[in-house]
Amino acid sequence: MKFVVLTKAAVPLSSAIRIDPKTGTLVREGVPLTANVWDRDAVEFALEMRDRYGGEVVAISMAPPTGILALESLIGMGVDRAILASDRAFAGADTWATAHVLAKTIEKYVPDFDLVVTGEETIDSTTAHIGAQTASWLGVPYLYYVYNAEVRGRTLIAKRFLEDEGVDEVYELKMPAVISVLRSSQIPREVKLSRKLTAREHLQIVDNSKLGLDQDCVGLRGSPTMVVGMSPAAYPPRKRIVISGAPGEVAKKVAEVLRELGVVCAVSGLQ
Amino acid sequence: MKFDVAVVGGGPAGLAAAYKLASAGFRVVVLERGREPGSKAMYGGRVYTHWLDKYLPEFRKAAIDRWVTRELVTFLTEDKAVTLETTTERGSFVTPLVSFTSWLARLSRDAGAQIVTEITVDQLARDERGRFVGVKSGSDFLRADYVIDAEGVNRLLLERAGIVERLKPETVAVGVKEVLKFESRKLLEERFGLGEEEGLAWTFAGYPTEYLPGGGFLYTYRDSVAIGVVMYLKSWDKLKTPVYDLVEKLRLHPYVAPYVRGAMLLEYGARMTPVVGINMAPPKFHYDGLLIVGDAAGFLLHTGVLIRGVDFAVASGVLAAEAIRESGDPSAEALSIYEKKLKSSFIYPQLEKFRNVDRILGDETLFRDLPIFATGVVNRYFTIDDKHRTLFEALRETSKETNVSLFKLLIYMARAVRNI
Amino acid sequence: MKYFTIEERLNANAWDVDIHKPHIVIKDPEKCRHCEKKPCTYMCPAKCYVQQGDYLVLSTEACLECGTCRVVCPHGAIEWNYPRSGMGVWYRFT
Ligand SMILES: Cc1cc2nc3c(=O)[nH]c(=O)nc-3n(C[C@H](O)[C@H](O)[C@H](O)COP(=O)(O)OP(=O)(O)OC[C@H]3O[C@@H](n4cnc5c(N)ncnc54)[C@H](O)[C@@H]3O)c2cc1C
Ligand code: SF4
Ligand code: SF4
Repeated sequence: MKFVVLTKAAVPLSSAIRIDPKTGTLVREGVPLTANVWDRDAVEFALEMRDRYGGEVVAISMAPPTGILALESLIGMGVDRAILASDRAFAGADTWATAHVLAKTIEKYVPDFDLVVTGEETIDSTTAHIGAQTASWLGVPYLYYVYNAEVRGRTLIAKRFLEDEGVDEVYELKMPAVISVLRSSQIPREVKLSRKLTAREHLQIVDNSKLGLDQDCVGLRGSPTMVVGMSPAAYPPRKRIVISGAPGEVAKKVAEVLRELGVVCAVSGLQ
Repeated sequence: MKFDVAVVGGGPAGLAAAYKLASAGFRVVVLERGREPGSKAMYGGRVYTHWLDKYLPEFRKAAIDRWVTRELVTFLTEDKAVTLETTTERGSFVTPLVSFTSWLARLSRDAGAQIVTEITVDQLARDERGRFVGVKSGSDFLRADYVIDAEGVNRLLLERAGIVERLKPETVAVGVKEVLKFESRKLLEERFGLGEEEGLAWTFAGYPTEYLPGGGFLYTYRDSVAIGVVMYLKSWDKLKTPVYDLVEKLRLHPYVAPYVRGAMLLEYGARMTPVVGINMAPPKFHYDGLLIVGDAAGFLLHTGVLIRGVDFAVASGVLAAEAIRESGDPSAEALSIYEKKLKSSFIYPQLEKFRNVDRILGDETLFRDLPIFATGVVNRYFTIDDKHRTLFEALRETSKETNVSLFKLLIYMARAVRNI
Repeated sequence: MKYFTIEERLNANAWDVDIHKPHIVIKDPEKCRHCEKKPCTYMCPAKCYVQQGDYLVLSTEACLECGTCRVVCPHGAIEWNYPRSGMGVWYRFT
């Protein structure tokens, strides 16, 4: 099977994000970029399926050359090869224009893909658009919040969990398809020395001279949406709560506390 | 996975070694646990250049923020301060360690070294005869003819290999620091009376560590300052303020606050440093297939408030590279040339010379008496009330009031002159 | 001038926190219970160790990887390691 993982070079999991009070935009100075933390769930998901069914995992990202680090890291985790779509013309893209570049890169370089896997959302823009939009550019079905899947013939049997409703659902999709993986539903594997050593050899960089995309469909020009304002949020203080008792009781209490704090809405049998 | 040389740690020591070896045609790999070289780097703020000119003259092309032209030492108490100042001539520069390290990483990459990041080495690998033959990370084994251990002060690997014991509170200090950014480079220069490219190095004794062994520091980068406190671990139980609040107390001290007013907090960091490097040195610096460089080897000089580690790290890395080049084979015997090189360079003699500095710096009373006494005397000397004191009277009165014996201070001085 | 709490200071930093596996573990909480002075609560620059009622609570997500706790712990109660896969603190300006 051929798996494609879409990934973004994003800020790390916990990072000072400053908004310039004068311009209202993100301060980029000194903000490091790495593979979006929730994309590592997607990578683990795809790698685990590859290990089960055989085949290949290809990671694709649209980013400036700074995206190389993020892709190398994923190759270090076990992704077989990676493609970075990078061109000045792609700058300033919203999710729609980004999904266009990603879909076209898939069509050109992994035309025989079976399953495209994305993270639930990016940690630094939180739109969760890319999966759905890429699926519509590719004209294939899309399912989000997946945490587990099986393949039967050309059918993907996927389980997903809806946090707000607190329900588990099972879907059958015809492949090729696109799914997004429920965040922190996987335990991403470590970056391995043996993989990381040769990471550069498995990385391909393509620009628009190779992709040949219409200038009106990419970058700022191809972006129908724009961010008109941003405002900073307050930092909550760190909290420490000690809960003791038998494991079952403790789990119950933890769930209660998390619900009270508004961290989760419903807790149910996520295995 | 086979290399001529595997270097553990992409800090100044490891990268300097890798640069020299790669330039000499060796197949070198540097294994660094951080996302990028420099992403785990934290230090005070300045690099001394005297020896860099000999061992790594390329540094002059490095990202240098400012050259230190003003050097200040302040004895600080709750409400008094006495400052000594001198001007200096380009003997050291200030720059974030992150900048210096990433520059050195680029240099070694360009020379052909491979730097592999995000890899934590778990073990130095040995063969059945105990010779070091590579490194292990997770389930991977990377084979190398030579291994250079440049893992820095925590040196988990040397401990796991049974070469050194676990660090003791007596041999290390913890440094805690803030980086504060000014609105503009010009504003910083005005505040500190600096010209373009001129920098200031400021150390504090007394108040910052609650009169316990250690000290405070402030360095000016391009448009930010590094302000921090170094606290010897062995005195921890006399601290009244938890170590995480010491820097804030220094930043908000009435004598310091006006200098950093309005500056924005960019980063907060901490790291340990050897106190008297040589006292935590491993029994040997070379073994079959293994050389130890930089902080891991204890190559660091700490004279109370000044810390010199980067030039030692770079020089020892360069010497290790030379030793490998000249050794012919990785046996301990052939590699003993490294030890000879250390002894005939500045590294070993300087560390030996300062070995006893510990006895003075470890003396808790010094850190209390000196600042209190110095500020007391100067304050009295300049106070004109019913009587106008001579300097000697000021000394005597202060001695009486602070219970600091003049005689004891003189002994400190004599010992200090001999040892520092 | 305003005092920055430790949380405010830590919030200025960048980390890639390993949310699945803490790199430092208290091997033996029993030792902490009998540890009289608890130097870790005083000497950790990130205030990762906090005494809470009868328990010593360790939260590693803001750890600066300095190693101090390992050295000051008089009872060897701490199993200390570096984070893996490049995780942990990410310095940019120091
Ligand atoms: C508070 C403080 C202030 C200081 N101020 C100054 C100063 O002003 N001037 C000065 O010259 N020196 C100063 N020093 C000392 C200086 O920072 C060090 O001497 C110098 O950085 C040592 O270089 P190194 O290469 O030996 O080790 P490090 O710089 O510690 O580099 C070691 C590298 O190895 C990596 N590593 C460690 N273990 C592993 C592993 N198992 N696997 C993979 N990678 C690993 C680390 O991530 C790190 O990048 C200061 C130190 C401190 C703590
Ligand atoms: S110092 Fe060690 S034994 Fe004491 S409380 Fe802390 S971790 Fe536990
Ligand atoms: S390593 Fe340093 S920052 Fe991390 S928990 Fe220990 S003392 Fe605190």
